[in-house]
Amino acid sequence: MSELKTLISQLENIALNPGKSVAKSVKDTGKEPIGCFPIYTPEEIVYAAGYLPVGMWGGKTEIKQADKYLQSFCCSIMRSNIEYGMKGTYDGLKAVIIPTFCDTLKCVCENWKTAVPQVPVITVVYPQNRLLDAGYQYLVTEFNRIKDEIEKLKGEKISSKNMEKSFSIYENYREAMRSFVKVVKDYPITINTRTRHLIIKAAYFMDKKDYTDIIIQIVNELKNSSAENFNGIRVVATGLIGEPVELLNIFVENNIAVVADDFAQESRQFRVQARNKGTAIEKMAYRIVDQKGCTFLYEEVKTKGQMLIDMVKESKAQAVVVVMMKFCDPEEFDYPIIKEEIEKADIPMLYIETDMQMDSYEQIRTRVQSFAEMLG
Amino acid sequence: MYLGIDIGSSSSKAALINENKELVATDLINMGTGTKGPDETISNVLRLAKISRENIAFTVATGYGRVTFSGADSQITEISCHAKGVSFMMKGVRTIIDIGGQDAKVIKVGNDGKVKNFVMNEKCAAGTGRFLEVMARVLGCKIDELSDLADKSTTDISISSVCTVFAESEVISRLASGAAIEDVARGAHLSIAKRIVGMCSRVGYEPVIAMTGGVALNSNIVKVLSNELESSVITAPHTQAAGAIGAALFAYEKGI
Repeated sequence: MSELKTLISQLENIALNPGKSVAKSVKDTGKEPIGCFPIYTPEEIVYAAGYLPVGMWGGKTEIKQADKYLQSFCCSIMRSNIEYGMKGTYDGLKAVIIPTFCDTLKCVCENWKTAVPQVPVITVVYPQNRLLDAGYQYLVTEFNRIKDEIEKLKGEKISSKNMEKSFSIYENYREAMRSFVKVVKDYPITINTRTRHLIIKAAYFMDKKDYTDIIIQIVNELKNSSAENFNGIRVVATGLIGEPVELLNIFVENNIAVVADDFAQESRQFRVQARNKGTAIEKMAYRIVDQKGCTFLYEEVKTKGQMLIDMVKESKAQAVVVVMMKFCDPEEFDYPIIKEEIEKADIPMLYIETDMQMDSYEQIRTRVQSFAEMLG
Repeated sequence: MYLGIDIGSSSSKAALINENKELVATDLINMGTGTKGPDETISNVLRLAKISRENIAFTVATGYGRVTFSGADSQITEISCHAKGVSFMMKGVRTIIDIGGQDAKVIKVGNDGKVKNFVMNEKCAAGTGRFLEVMARVLGCKIDELSDLADKSTTDISISSVCTVFAESEVISRLASGAAIEDVARGAHLSIAKRIVGMCSRVGYEPVIAMTGGVALNSNIVKVLSNELESSVITAPHTQAAGAIGAALFAYEKGI
């Protein structure tokens, strides 16, 4: 158990100190870091080239310079990223990869070039109609273009062998994570809502292979102990990101455990298992094709609501918690649809609005506590 | 005796329930969290009941200042307490609209007085008591004069801005262009009512609808809200103390 505590604490510290953690990973691996913006980027290519992919999901910082490019009604993750970029926090990055999943990200691709000229940007455009064969073919071409860009940056070609090896490391990571989220729902005391999030987040600041080894150890350690008798409230959480961490502390205070999630930063990154056939790049493209219930990937008929209802049943949860990042248009557009479906299924739902720069939590505390009182 | 204290942003309320589950006394002081208000209202309610602190078997705190208040045995949110308090005083209530100094809530209540669903306003003064304070200042009247003023309105004026700060500018420009203050006062009430109607729709309201909180003392708002909801809204008895009464009832259940 003490080994388990050490491993958990190690990952928590990594997630809570991204700057130091990335510096350590760079030192330990000897790899140069490349920043990967939300929601999806072809990290396997970055890894195959010998770079260290690093997640760029914002952070709490005072916005002073970013206002020049992104107004106060823009996504606070992007405002944080631009602010960090402009004040030099990201100067150690070899490049950043920015996909164009929403209007703000599209603007950020261009803003970055003038706001943070010292860090080169590689943009990636995912297909709107990924379910058509043409969409898939386009994505393969786009990933190959990104591969070319990264090869130029590196000054050498990425071999097929390294590409396959990298893809395999990422598939192992995703398999380990699927196992992790499945197992930890039976241990909501040891792996509470805050810890669960921090463990998953740590992956963004480490070499994936090293991270996966630790996750496998944690899962094995947990499996050696019996399931925990938790008398609190079990919920399924959805949204872009389950932050700030202070919000998760309020969940823990009120004995609420996230037993399954649909966060873009968390389970959406690893819930899809890749197909067996094709090259690494083709399998990467199919992973995007096969992703369902993601706000950022177009669906003619939205499957997210039913998916959340199924998750509630499978994980024996009592409710759904929607953590809405303020001004995240795609997630906001989906909300009325999922709200109607979840209400129809008679599943209680809590809606919370957050942003990266929050410093007052009293109103949220009242909402979360009232919700706990309502379900308790 | 069982004490409930509701520490809001701009006022503190206390209520006492006896061993027979009867309401003994209530008090209100217009000083909220971070002031002497909570202690003073407790002293007042004890004086009214002619008892001392030692006679209190259990205390539950609620409201914005409930977490930082050290004199309670337990703390419960104002959402649960308003549901409890109103259901105790009024039978058959299914929806509660609580508009306080800095927030607004719509609570759906079950047969048993338990919360079934709720919505709160976002971190914004629009649709709250603070909005009315700002409007009263601009109109040059006291906040408790707004209702009578609005009752005399003859022409509908719409305050379109959803933000209190912008609404203030809008009202100033309306007054500058010759609008009657009675019409502007009613326009401000309508602005609050429209926000509340939106919240009611989100939670799925149903009659009987009761209103609590300081804003419920403004009879014109209650009237405007009834019109907008196309359903009668009743001001709850002890409207400002409903949360404290609910807290005292929880204290009774926990302490007995």
